[in-house]
Amino acid sequence: MTTAAANVLQYLLLVLGAPLLRALIARVKAVIQRRQGTNLWRPYADLLKLFRKEDLVPPDSSPLFRFAPMMLAASTFVAAALVPTVNQSALLAFAGDFIVLVYVLALGRFFMGLGALDGSSSFAGMGASREAMISALAEAPLLLGLIAVAILAGQGNIVEIVRWTLSQNFFDVSAVHAVAFAALAMVAIAETGRMPVDNPTTHLELTMIHEAMVLEYSGPSLALIEWAQAVKLTVVLSLLIGLFAPWGMAANLTLAGLALGLGAYLLKLVVLAIVIAVLESSIAKLRMYMVPEFLGIATALGALAVVFTALLRR
Amino acid sequence: MVLVDLAASKAMGSAAVLLFLTVLMLAAAKRMSTSIVAFALQSAVLAAQVLAVAHIHRSTESYVIGGLVILIKVLGIPYALFRLVDKLQAPRDVKLSLSPVYSVFITAGLIFLSFTAVHTYVQELRVSEDVLAAAVALILSGAFLMVSHGKALMQIIALLVLENGIFLAALITTFGMPMIIEIGVFFDLIMGVLLMGVFAFRIRDTFEHLDVSKLRRLRG
Repeated sequence: MTTAAANVLQYLLLVLGAPLLRALIARVKAVIQRRQGTNLWRPYADLLKLFRKEDLVPPDSSPLFRFAPMMLAASTFVAAALVPTVNQSALLAFAGDFIVLVYVLALGRFFMGLGALDGSSSFAGMGASREAMISALAEAPLLLGLIAVAILAGQGNIVEIVRWTLSQNFFDVSAVHAVAFAALAMVAIAETGRMPVDNPTTHLELTMIHEAMVLEYSGPSLALIEWAQAVKLTVVLSLLIGLFAPWGMAANLTLAGLALGLGAYLLKLVVLAIVIAVLESSIAKLRMYMVPEFLGIATALGALAVVFTALLRR
Repeated sequence: MVLVDLAASKAMGSAAVLLFLTVLMLAAAKRMSTSIVAFALQSAVLAAQVLAVAHIHRSTESYVIGGLVILIKVLGIPYALFRLVDKLQAPRDVKLSLSPVYSVFITAGLIFLSFTAVHTYVQELRVSEDVLAAAVALILSGAFLMVSHGKALMQIIALLVLENGIFLAALITTFGMPMIIEIGVFFDLIMGVLLMGVFAFRIRDTFEHLDVSKLRRLRG
């Protein structure tokens, strides 16, 4: 009973707190660029405003146009339920759930691409085709990285993998972990549309990917997309934290344990946010045709990680 | 103190993993500065291993050698290389002769090859398989970097990576060579980098580029 309550609480924390993480990254970037930056609560105000606005739909579009953002939000929120954050368990946990996580995220992207094409704006179509290319290329390294970690742990369940990692010695860094982390970190950048792959703040037609897809959306639909995007970023980062640095996660459901778990989790998220902000401020976006190369390297690393699991088995 | 002991005892195996990562980073690097930083990181991992050996065996000589590694390979040579890049005013890309994806794949293959190569020797030597494989992988990937890059500066880095591999192999099979040999090796290294730096300048001045592949036309 208490486990279920803790799981619901950590899920709500992830879903409701996600916009704050995006605001934090934007704020750190603003500080680096010597700007004042916006209020940390601004995303919530934006979401509220958008939810109260009228939803404008292009005259040529079908019902799919309104349906796509809902699918995106729904699939992302399901993905959020699969990831343990503060507590060593998740709302949804079953054997093979890491594969479900990969494809639930892909489902959201698929519908988003359809919705963008349905809006019959040429930019949105361009964005959709680019997004389709990136997600097709990012799928292999994401799966390979996760499979490598799963084989190493001997578990097909994200929560069990996290528990296995927690039982390992801190200094026993395995080659599989290091290489899989490199692959998954590169994929995480591509999946969440962050800097070397896509610039989340651009509105320049030649370079934007995700922003081009959502150009036609407004009102509650846009709010859902923005919210889902924030949740997705948090989910992917939480997955990285859970798989590679879960130390501090609450093992038992005491108040002190949960507080420690929450503190450790938030600290790691803040550190990751700062790392992302520094990276985004210091490197330039890749040219569109360099993205396959970037993800190709990630795929090579993912394959290396999987083969390492066979090499290092004692 | 207990934590330091634990870290030192684990440092050998874990450091090998980081060495693999730096090797892959070198293979994927597209700019001179990235390669130099990757080399500096690699040397830093090597220095940590030397210090770990020094801590375990309580030998002062190894501490001195670890200090020398930090001084020369982590700080000195990368600084010299950065200055060289600056002074040569050459384009910043590394002139990879094949796409970075293939380069990473081949390097991954070399890592497997080194694992299979050291497999038979591991039992006799009683050292960790990871570390010996890392040493062989460094040597192999150094050689690969040398043939896959067309820039004179990258060949310097490739040679240094190769040397790092030999150094690591010596470290784990002998647990620290005599001081005088190590100092000789370091002297050799500095002289080598110095000479190659001068050479790079001469190549640039004579041919107005640093592309080694174009030097073939010099055959008589």
